[in-house]
Amino acid sequence: MEMLLMALCMSAFAVLVAALAFRAATGPAESAESVKPALPAKPAVPARFFAGRIPPIVPPRPQVPIEVLLREIEDHVRLEQAAAESFVDFPTEALLYCKTTSPLVN
Amino acid sequence: MQHELLIGLSSAEVEQVMALGTRITVPSGGALFKLGDPADRIFLVERGRIQLTLPMQVRGREEEILVEEKSPGQTVGWSALIPPHRFTLSARAPLTTEATALPRERLQQYLEGSPRTAYKISSNLALVIGRRLQLLQTMWLREMQRTIEQRSAAEAR
Repeated sequence: MEMLLMALCMSAFAVLVAALAFRAATGPAESAESVKPALPAKPAVPARFFAGRIPPIVPPRPQVPIEVLLREIEDHVRLEQAAAESFVDFPTEALLYCKTTSPLVN
Repeated sequence: MQHELLIGLSSAEVEQVMALGTRITVPSGGALFKLGDPADRIFLVERGRIQLTLPMQVRGREEEILVEEKSPGQTVGWSALIPPHRFTLSARAPLTTEATALPRERLQQYLEGSPRTAYKISSNLALVIGRRLQLLQTMWLREMQRTIEQRSAAEAR
């Protein structure tokens, strides 16, 4: 009889411990968060403090469809071929390095 | 129409050379030859247009990128006359195109028996190859100049 009572008590104790552990593990997180003191706002420090130069923020160029890109490449080659032909027919440094209007490189 | 490969030949010589070849038609979008194919014929463009292309990776996809375009009167596929006789570019027709295909063996046999014609054709071929070299050298130099300018601009920032 004593053994049975002891076993019952130990089982009840084990269930209680398991219930407490479960509550601690699954309880609302904000209760723990809410007691934390508010952190001071971080000062605005450049992301690369130790870097000599900060790279400029360049807005990403919108990606054009591949068909448009291929068309731009073809047009670029045609423009470059025409520029090269002009140079080969009448070679001058100005013609060699004349600027292109190709959207691929502008 | 005067073919750049046959400039300086008499009409009789032109007729004899053209008689060695066969007229072919490449449908719109069709391939005349592909990079690495054995080059056993040289082509004289008669009508339409031929685009010379090389493969390039564009956004992870292999695409045939235009390198040069050839119009009627121009010569395509001179790898047929230059060892190791393999095409170093691909050729396609963006529209229905006609060309005269001159087989290397027949052309060589004919030229061995006609030194004057052989000299003229060789000179013309040198001009075609030299022109290609000058154009591509210029295009390459312009691209290099742009690359250097972009790098200098990036370093100045």
